[in-house]
Amino acid sequence: MSATASPLHYSEEELLSSGSFREPLFANGVRCHGGFDDEGRYCSPRVLFRNPAINAWQDRLRQGGDTLFEISPDLIPPVHPNVAQAKLLLQNGVREPIVRALTIISIVEGFGAMIRDVKVPDLESLLVEPIHGTALAHLQRGLFEAHARDESGYRDEGGHKQMWEAARDAALENPKIPGDVLMRLMGRRDQRGRRKPLFPEIGEDLERSLGFMANVLVVEVMAAETFQWGIDLLSDPEISAAPEEAGGMVENIRADEKPHVEYLRTALSEVAARTIRTVDGKQISGKVVIDGLLHGILSEVIKNRRSDQRDDLREGLEKAVQVAAHPQRLLEDFDSLEFDWTPPSQTGFEASEAA
Amino acid sequence: MKVATRIRRSARVGRTAVQLWLRYKAPAVGRRLSGREPASAAIMNRRHERTADQILKLALSMRGVMIKMCQAVATRADMFPPEFIEKLKQCHDAVPFQPFEVVRAVVERELGKPLDAVFSEFEEQPIAAASLAQVHAAKLHDGREVAVKVQYPDIEDIIRTDLNNMQRVCRIYEFFDPQPLELMPLLKELTTHLSYELDFEREADCSERVLELFSDDDRVKIPEVYREWSTKRVLVMEKISGIKITERAAIEAAGLDPADVVQDLMYIYVRMILAAGFFQADPHPGNLFVTPEGQVIVIDFGLSKELPEGFGLGLFELMFSLMTFNESAMVRAFGELGFRSKSGDDDTFLAIARRMVSRSDSGSFEGEFTEEMTDELFAAIREDPVAEVPSDFVLVARVFSFLSGIAHTLGSRANVLRAMGASTG
Ligand SMILES: Nc1ncnc2c1ncn2[C@@H]1O[C@H](COP(=O)(O)OP(=O)(O)OP(=O)(O)O)[C@@H](O)[C@H]1O
Ligand SMILES: [Fe+2]
Ligand SMILES: [Fe+2]
Repeated sequence: MSATASPLHYSEEELLSSGSFREPLFANGVRCHGGFDDEGRYCSPRVLFRNPAINAWQDRLRQGGDTLFEISPDLIPPVHPNVAQAKLLLQNGVREPIVRALTIISIVEGFGAMIRDVKVPDLESLLVEPIHGTALAHLQRGLFEAHARDESGYRDEGGHKQMWEAARDAALENPKIPGDVLMRLMGRRDQRGRRKPLFPEIGEDLERSLGFMANVLVVEVMAAETFQWGIDLLSDPEISAAPEEAGGMVENIRADEKPHVEYLRTALSEVAARTIRTVDGKQISGKVVIDGLLHGILSEVIKNRRSDQRDDLREGLEKAVQVAAHPQRLLEDFDSLEFDWTPPSQTGFEASEAA
Repeated sequence: MKVATRIRRSARVGRTAVQLWLRYKAPAVGRRLSGREPASAAIMNRRHERTADQILKLALSMRGVMIKMCQAVATRADMFPPEFIEKLKQCHDAVPFQPFEVVRAVVERELGKPLDAVFSEFEEQPIAAASLAQVHAAKLHDGREVAVKVQYPDIEDIIRTDLNNMQRVCRIYEFFDPQPLELMPLLKELTTHLSYELDFEREADCSERVLELFSDDDRVKIPEVYREWSTKRVLVMEKISGIKITERAAIEAAGLDPADVVQDLMYIYVRMILAAGFFQADPHPGNLFVTPEGQVIVIDFGLSKELPEGFGLGLFELMFSLMTFNESAMVRAFGELGFRSKSGDDDTFLAIARRMVSRSDSGSFEGEFTEEMTDELFAAIREDPVAEVPSDFVLVARVFSFLSGIAHTLGSRANVLRAMGASTG
C-alpha cells in the first residue's frame, strides 16, 4: 500500500499521528493524550489523518450508492441512576455507588485495548468485491491500534481510562474506591460467552471478528448517553468540586469517541455493501449478516440493559444509603426521580434478518 | 517426639548450614585476604547448584518444614539465584508415604470411632503423599466416594522443632554475614503458611468460600467437604476425578480445546484474586484437573489467602500499565500494591518499570504474567537491594507464573482482560 496520502489510502503511521498541540492535556496531574490548539480548543489525538480518512471512505460508500447505516439513539435507555438521582445521592453523602459507577466506566474504557487483539481474517479472499481503499482495509493498519490507544492510553500518555479517573477524582476529591469494584464489574454480565454462531456458513473467525466490531460499535453508541450523564453530573457545582475541569474532561473524551463510532459503522457498512463467500463455496449478502448481528445485539440491549443497570445499582444501594440521615426517605425520593422509558419495538435492523 | 530425634534433627540442619556458610563465605574471605578477584559467575553458579542439591537431599529425608522451606525458597525468585530455584522445585513429588496402620490410628483418634463406623471401604494404598499429609480413597456407608486427607502424626511437633532450628540457623547466619539475605521474614511467613496448612478446619472453610464464589458457574468444580467427618487433622471430601490439567493429549482426546481450558483457568484465578480478594494460592498442576465435560476442578485449599482491600485493583492497574507500556502508571501501581523502596523515592521503581516496559515492548502483553515476566521483575528487584516486595505480591506472582506455565504446556495463552469479561465477542 502506498504511503502517500491519497484520500483513500493511509499508512499506519499516518493513522496514528496527531500533529502538534500547543499545550498537552494534563488530567488531575496525569499526562494524557491530545492537547490544546492556539485558541485553547481541545484537539483529539491521532486524528490528523484519521478523520479525513474516515470522511473519504464514507463519501466513497455513498457515491457507490450504498448505505451508511446508523444506530438510532432512541434504542439506548437512559443511564441509571439518572443525573437527578445521582445528584440526590451525592448531596446526601451517599458517594459509594457513584464512585463505583465512575470507576467501572473508567475500567471499561480501558478494556477498549482489546480491540487491537481482534484478528480479522483475510477479507480480500472472504469478500467477493475488492476492499482496496476502504476502512476495512485499514482496520489492522492503524484503525484498531488508534482506537485501543485512545481508550487505554499508550506509553506515558493516559487515555480515556485515566481521563475518567481524573474527572472522578477532581469532581469528588479523590474518593475512596470501593473494594468491590472488580467483583461487581466481573459479576455483571453473563460470563457464559460462548454464544452459538448466528451465521455458521461464514465461518467462526469471520463471525467472531464482525461480531466483536458490531458489539464495540453498540457500546460506543451507548456511551453517548453515559458521556452526557457524566458531563451534566460532574459539571454541576452543587456536587462537583471541579465543575469545569471534570465536566470538561468528559467533553474531551466524548470528542475523542466520535471517530470510533464513525470508522466502525463505516467498516461494517462496507461489509454490508459486499458479498461474503461462505465456507461451503456459496455466497451470502453482507447486509444480511451485518443486520443480523446488529439486530441480535441491539435486541439484547433493548431487553436487558435498563434492568441490568438497575439491578447493578440496587444491589447494595439499600446498604449504601445507610450513611444518609434518613435512609428510607432518601430511597423513596430516589425512586420518585426515576423516569419512564419505553423500549422501542424495533431495532431498525430486522428487515433483512427476515429475508 | 523423642528428645534424641529432636537433637538429631537439629544437628543435621546445623551441620548443613555450617557447610553452606563455609562454601559461600570462606572462599570470599580468602579471596579478599589474598587480594584475588571475586569468584566468577560460572563458579558461583556451580556452587549454587551443588548447594541446592545438598539442601534438597536433606529436605526429602527429613520432610516437614525442610520440604516446605524448599518450596518456599523455590518461590522466591526475587531473592535466590535461578539454579537454586530450579533444583528446589523438585521437592514437590518425591515424598515417601506412611504405612496404613499409622493413617488408621490418626483417623480413628480424630473421629473418635473405628474406621469402619464411618467408611465402608478405605483404600490402604494412598492416592498421594505430600509433605504434611497423605490422601486415601474411601467410601462412606451411603455409597458416596470420598477422598480422605490425613495429616501425618507428630507433624506439628516436627514442624515446631524444625522451625526453631531454622530460626537459630538464620540468626547465626545473619550475625556472621555483613550483608545477609533477609531470611527471617521468609521464615516468619513460612510459619504462618504452615499454620494455615496444618489446620484442615481452616482449609474446609476456605474451600467452602471458594465453592460459594463459583456456586452459579458451571465452568468450575470444587469438591464438597463433608464437615461431619472432618476435623483439624482429617478432611473428608467429595472424591473428584479428572484429567490432570497439564495432560494436553488427554484433554484434546476428550474433545476439549486446550485454549478454552487455559482461558477458563485464567478466569477462575482472576475472579479469585482480582475480584474476590480471596484465593487458593497453590495452582500447581497436582491441584488442578479438567472433567471430560470441560469443567476445571480446583482442589487443595490449604494455602488460601485473603488479600488486603484494594490489592486486586492495584494488581489490575499493574497489569494494565504493562499492557500500555505506561511507566508512571506502573510506578503508581507498585505503590498501591505496597512495594516500598528503602530510600523512599520512586527512582527504583521507575527503573524497574522501564526495564519491564522495554522488555514487554517486543510483543503485545495481554495481561499474562509469564514466567519470564516475573523472572524479569524479580531479577530487577534482586539486583536492587533497596526494593521491598510485599509478600502478598510474591504469592500472587507465583500463582500467575504457575498459570502461565500451565498455559505454555497446553500450547495457549490466556488474556486477563477477556477473563474479566472485557470481550463479548
Ligand atoms: N477430593 C479429592 N479427590 C481425589 N483426589 C484428591 C482429592 N483431594 C486430593 N486428592 C489427591 O491427593 C493429592 C494431594 O492432595 P492435596 O493437594 O490436597 O495435599 P497437599 O498436602 O496440600 O499436597 P501439596 O502440598 O503437594 O499440594 C492431590 O494432588 C490429588 O491427587
Ligand atoms: Fe473511550
Ligand atoms: Fe471508544
